[in-house]
Amino acid sequence: MPLLSTVGYYEPWYVQILKALVVFGVGFSLVPLALLYERKLLGRFQNRPGPNRVGPFGTLQPAADILKLLGKEQFRPTNAIGWLFILSPLVAMVCALATFMLIPFSGAPQDILGTPVGLYGLDSDIGLLIVFAFASVGSYGVLLGGWSSASKYSFLGAMRAAAQLISYEIAQGLALLGVIISAGTLSLTEIVDEQSALWFVIPQLVGAITFFIATLAEINRTPFDLLEADSELVAGFMTEYGGGRFALYYVAEYVHLIVAGGLFTTLFLGGWHLPFVDQPGWLDPFVVLAKTIVVVTFIVWIRATLPKLRYDQLMTFGWKVLLPIATVNALVTAVVVVAW
Amino acid sequence: MAELLFFIVGPLAVIAAVGTVALRNPFFAVLSLVVHLLALAMLFMLLQAQFVAVVQVLVYVGAVMVLYLFVTAYVGGDADPRGGSGPSLRWLSYAIGASLVVLLAITFIGSGLQAIDTRGAPYDPELGSPGQIGELLLSRYLVVFEGSALLLLVATVGAVVLARRRRGVLPGEDRTISALDLFAPTGTGSMREGVGAINPVPGAIRARITPQTGAASPPSAEFDDGDDDGTEDRR
Repeated sequence: MPLLSTVGYYEPWYVQILKALVVFGVGFSLVPLALLYERKLLGRFQNRPGPNRVGPFGTLQPAADILKLLGKEQFRPTNAIGWLFILSPLVAMVCALATFMLIPFSGAPQDILGTPVGLYGLDSDIGLLIVFAFASVGSYGVLLGGWSSASKYSFLGAMRAAAQLISYEIAQGLALLGVIISAGTLSLTEIVDEQSALWFVIPQLVGAITFFIATLAEINRTPFDLLEADSELVAGFMTEYGGGRFALYYVAEYVHLIVAGGLFTTLFLGGWHLPFVDQPGWLDPFVVLAKTIVVVTFIVWIRATLPKLRYDQLMTFGWKVLLPIATVNALVTAVVVVAW
Repeated sequence: MAELLFFIVGPLAVIAAVGTVALRNPFFAVLSLVVHLLALAMLFMLLQAQFVAVVQVLVYVGAVMVLYLFVTAYVGGDADPRGGSGPSLRWLSYAIGASLVVLLAITFIGSGLQAIDTRGAPYDPELGSPGQIGELLLSRYLVVFEGSALLLLVATVGAVVLARRRRGVLPGEDRTISALDLFAPTGTGSMREGVGAINPVPGAIRARITPQTGAASPPSAEFDDGDDDGTEDRR
């Protein structure tokens, strides 16, 4: 009897436990890579070398960063609400990693040491909804963290977070309706399989752009990084955090970055499908990773290019521009699909 | 496994529900409600209603409760509830609560006990899938579905009308806000203009926000130095 959901393929229980550990491990080990990649890339964009002191070509910089953070004092403001202050970064990080579990790296189960294993944490018939559910629970990490810090900067950052995440979540979900209607399913592997002939980025170009912009806001990237807004709010909701707890928020941020890339790849860039080539199954994860890197590069590029929005511009843009576009896109897609 | 989860999640839901009522700090009461809704979502999952469970988290925990937290974080926070209910209202609430308990008891004893000796409802994997729920909404429950959609639309329009009044209300002013205010000429002051962002009310270019007068008040004599060179005497 399935406990969680109807799933496409079942492994034995020990494979599922192993898979949970592997997803956790892969998600965690992608973080330093993404961190280094972003800092190097930002350096290049700004005509400087980027980190190049620790290890060869600065490759050990993320390790140094994380070790430094872990070695720091676990600071807590006097008026902070202790258990919430400790819990919030955990919520943020766990929810970020949980969304990573849904991203499929290969459709058909791959043969690993004689056991067929699907290269995803979970392939559910409501996979996309689970991604959104975890993302919305993850916003509690930001909100409660800022509120429980008992600091005005943190509080303002947290309140901005609540408003911004709600506003852009709606646009993000509506932008995806086009994909869901075209694919006729909420399962992420089936959505990818629907794209074997044509990636959704072409028929769903408007949806793709809207989704991409809303995702930038959801993961607090420039030009929507008003939760942190270092020029106004010191560091926004994480002003009072230091040491390991700050590291958790930091990790969550980079997991969000990777998940955003992976999700965009899955939904719009055809996942493991390559045009005109039918590659062997063991190459699938690398194709997905390569496409994810392209999307992440694009996100970093935007960070290096655009300035921050003003707060009222951010809300106006979300509600008056993105939301109508996403709605019209969903409507047009529905009409086209029914009329065809 | 399912039984174990039930005995973790079930009591958690009850405790969190009690906490929602009993906690004096509104922020923690809302947090307790969040925990309660999460526990409910897990119970839905144990009942094989995955779609309902995820939508519960998505809509209630992810959107509605965030708004509640937003409001209580701003205006709540202190342990004393603002105002209180009158004695008649209190007795009315007790009566409603008691009758609800009786009603639920009748329902559960009437239907639930009959099922004890049976094997229960059969499990159908298709039941509660997104496709099936969508089909039901657009065929059997179409009227209800459209009706609630209309209700939501009315609520949205109402929220827009309330939020987009064209002029900030002055302190002590008693003014009905009508939909016609939406069509007033620009520059007569939206909410943002009303707090002095852009030229507020005509003739009130020097409107100031002071603790005494509130937002968007007309220029008071205190700030006027008599000449029209745009400089004011600062007190």
